[in-house]
Amino acid sequence: MDEFQEILQDFLVESFELVEKLDEDLVELENTPEDLELLNGIFRVAHTVKGASSFLNFDVLTHLTHHMEDVLNKARHGELIITPDIMDVILESIDLMKALLNIIRDTSADAGIDVSACVARLDKVAGGSGEVESPVSDAPVPEAEAIVEEAPAAEDDLDYDNMDPDELEAEIEKLLNQRQEEDKAKRAAKIEAGESVPEAPPAPDEEAEEPKAEAAPAPTPAAPTPPPAAVKTEAPSDDAKAAAPAKRAPAAVEQTIRVDVKRLDHLMNLIGELVLAKNRLIKINDDVEERYEGEEFLEELNQVVSIVSLVTTDLQIAVMKTRMLPIGKVFNKFPRMIRDLTRELNKKIELEIDGEETELDKSIVEEIGDPLVHIIRNSCDHGIETPDVRLAAGKVETGTISLTAFNEGNQIVIQIDDDGKGLDVEILKDKALKNGIISEKEADSMSDKEAFGLIMRPGFSTAAAVTNVSGRGVGMDVVKTNIEKVNGIIDIESEVGQGSSIKLKIPLTLAIIQALLVGVQEEHYAIPLSSVLETVRISKDEIYTVEGRSVMRLRDDVLSLVHIGDIFEVERILDASEHAYVVVLGLGTSKLGLIVDTLVGQEEIVIKSLGDYLKGIEGIAGATIRGDGGVTLICDVVALMDMAKGVKATAMIEDSAGAGGSNEKTKASDYTIMIVDDSKTDRTIMRKALEPLGVTLVEAGDGQEALNVLKTGDHNFDAMLIDIEMPRMDGYSLATEIKKYNRYKNLPLIAVTSRTGKSDRMRGVESGMVEYITKPYSADYLSSVVQRNVNFKSEFL
Amino acid sequence: MSDKLKQIINKQGEQQNAETLDQSDNIVQLVGFVIGEEEYAVPILAIQEIIKPFTWTRCPQVPPYVLGVFNLRGSVIPLIDLRVKFGLKSKNHNDETRFFVLKQGDEVAGFVIDRLTAAIRIKRENIGPAPDTINGDDTMIDGVGKQEDRIITILKVDKLLERDF
Repeated sequence: MDEFQEILQDFLVESFELVEKLDEDLVELENTPEDLELLNGIFRVAHTVKGASSFLNFDVLTHLTHHMEDVLNKARHGELIITPDIMDVILESIDLMKALLNIIRDTSADAGIDVSACVARLDKVAGGSGEVESPVSDAPVPEAEAIVEEAPAAEDDLDYDNMDPDELEAEIEKLLNQRQEEDKAKRAAKIEAGESVPEAPPAPDEEAEEPKAEAAPAPTPAAPTPPPAAVKTEAPSDDAKAAAPAKRAPAAVEQTIRVDVKRLDHLMNLIGELVLAKNRLIKINDDVEERYEGEEFLEELNQVVSIVSLVTTDLQIAVMKTRMLPIGKVFNKFPRMIRDLTRELNKKIELEIDGEETELDKSIVEEIGDPLVHIIRNSCDHGIETPDVRLAAGKVETGTISLTAFNEGNQIVIQIDDDGKGLDVEILKDKALKNGIISEKEADSMSDKEAFGLIMRPGFSTAAAVTNVSGRGVGMDVVKTNIEKVNGIIDIESEVGQGSSIKLKIPLTLAIIQALLVGVQEEHYAIPLSSVLETVRISKDEIYTVEGRSVMRLRDDVLSLVHIGDIFEVERILDASEHAYVVVLGLGTSKLGLIVDTLVGQEEIVIKSLGDYLKGIEGIAGATIRGDGGVTLICDVVALMDMAKGVKATAMIEDSAGAGGSNEKTKASDYTIMIVDDSKTDRTIMRKALEPLGVTLVEAGDGQEALNVLKTGDHNFDAMLIDIEMPRMDGYSLATEIKKYNRYKNLPLIAVTSRTGKSDRMRGVESGMVEYITKPYSADYLSSVVQRNVNFKSEFL
Repeated sequence: MSDKLKQIINKQGEQQNAETLDQSDNIVQLVGFVIGEEEYAVPILAIQEIIKPFTWTRCPQVPPYVLGVFNLRGSVIPLIDLRVKFGLKSKNHNDETRFFVLKQGDEVAGFVIDRLTAAIRIKRENIGPAPDTINGDDTMIDGVGKQEDRIITILKVDKLLERDF
């Protein structure tokens, strides 16, 4: 029984590998029906599965594959032209075959799937042409092999048509038994032959033997009465066929052994320990160097340490490579998918695949299959237009989707391009607004990149109707979740009418990662380097507060900031210096600036779980052990971004604002607020809104006047409300001027304006405005904003 | 020579067996420790090791009694301050402070205790149930051991190792 299980395992592994390749080959075959080499390859797959399954008594599977083989065999001999309709039947049968294999894997039996309908269709395909063409082809094909092969096939067809199901089963049973015996005889013959063949590899290597096993029994079903001699005469032709595809995929003949993934995982864990020990050794070496500078033995120690560290790194890479799978494993299923989709959607789409040999860690390969399916379905359904629309737009009728994978540093990039209609930012925003995913304000201030990111939001769909293919608004959300799970980044680019391009950047492995170590107060945290876009050193003046949140300007973008100490509840005992570092984190399409006190450096770390007791702590992905033996926590960037949304402006800014030195307020009128607006009406509206607070109000008609008031220093202002459009000096210039005075550096400037554009807000932030109120506004809103900014004490209300 | 050695070893083995047989059924072996003013104990077999305090790393988003995590020969293990867990004020570690590493199944955690007392052998009949007032599924107390002049609270290891936040 154990032996049977072992054979069964081998059979399943082999079958799944073969079937995976089959899909791709079949689609290629449809494009080049005359490619004999390809056809032979496909035939051999069907045949191998049939042979093995009959040996293992999987009757249903054998029955099915046998009929597939018939059709393919006819095609192989040029008696059947593979049309799309025939291909549909063949593909259907392959799907059934896969389903059967799955059932066998789960239950060790192949019951439960009805293949008769498909078999009947296969028979029709094979039989139809068999009856019509065989008399014709008999004559011109003088080879004995061909005639012998066709005769039984035709016979079978006739029989089946006239039989009722029971008889059919019985007949099949009979044929199968007969065939099994033949197979056994063949096998025996083959083993004998194998032993006598001198070039047989001496090592009992599995893979090396398999091609032989495939090649040798190939003629078995063809000849109903198998004289051993037939094998010998036919063997050369089969060998030749086997050799041809071998050229196509040289990987197949490489010597391999199958290893349980668990063993590799264990090996990886051990390497992890070694990496930790190495880090520690390096640290000790540094310490020793410092203490015994100039001693002779140091040289030797140095050498040993560097060799150990070098070998460890190599070892780690080598073990990592054993876990690597070519991404082609995932890509393989797409030609078939595209083909099905094109027929379903009535579009013409071509798929170009490049870089399928690029390798990725096994666990990641498993994760990216689904996202890619969703992205490609999306490209087919929403991206590529129907042929007539494409022609009207002056494009080629056939749309192209290209799937490319390549290495980029420590990451692998998978790029999916289509030349379809592209993403229209306005339509995206419109849809998002209607679905209530974003607010109007968010829509206005959204960059194109952010707008593209909308397609990843759950519940978002631009499809007018839910189709079979897409439109439920789920798919791209899955993409985001899965890619973030493996610490990947999604980058979307698109141009209306030109097409779009989605880039997935994924780290190569999960267990040992490169991390950036950052310090806050006396604590250290590790951030996966794959999520770090860049680090910037800033002075505190560069941090602005907008609507209670810290932001900074990073080139053309406004980057929201959060202090790592606010997220991880770090007590701020030490006084932070004038400068801080911002680690720009990127994940999916979103970005976040993380303020830290110090950057410690980059280190290779091994991810360790926190165990059951502490698992699931928000913001912490795990821990690692550092060179000094201490534990450093690893940030979970996904959670960090979520948590950042709930964190208000950092204490760092509040502190410095406090240092601005306003006197203790004892009554409401101690608060002084200046209103700068050129319109008398607007000033009055603001005055009316703020008067109920009882604060002191000072008015100025334009920027110049306001500046003069400030210069006199008669009032100690707590906040200023500034209109942007003013004669003589506008609000931006005024704000910039005010910020030049040290005394007013932390004076909250609130813009009150009808300008709502993104660039306007940006200018506002740049010039030092902390709040941006758009006209028209409600009196309550204005009042609450002012109260917030001057820290209005509630007891005065 | 080797025969003689074997004989001795066998003899010793027999003796030990005899000893353990004597005690196995009725004696419970515990390790006692002090937190605040009270003496507690846990079964000796639940203790993986007892170590002197060393540095740990604070962990955010956890209750105050979870001090953080520390490195025990390559494993990252949570550290829990039993003083705080039992409602006392935390105090600075001193020479007598120890980390108690308890293990049950895959669950491992370190516990900070004020002072070790001793390994205790106590007869099973001398262990009473926890007082009725604090009985129930939620209690951390397994029972109360009575010895000549003192009372020892025996704690449930699985409750100690259970995450309750």
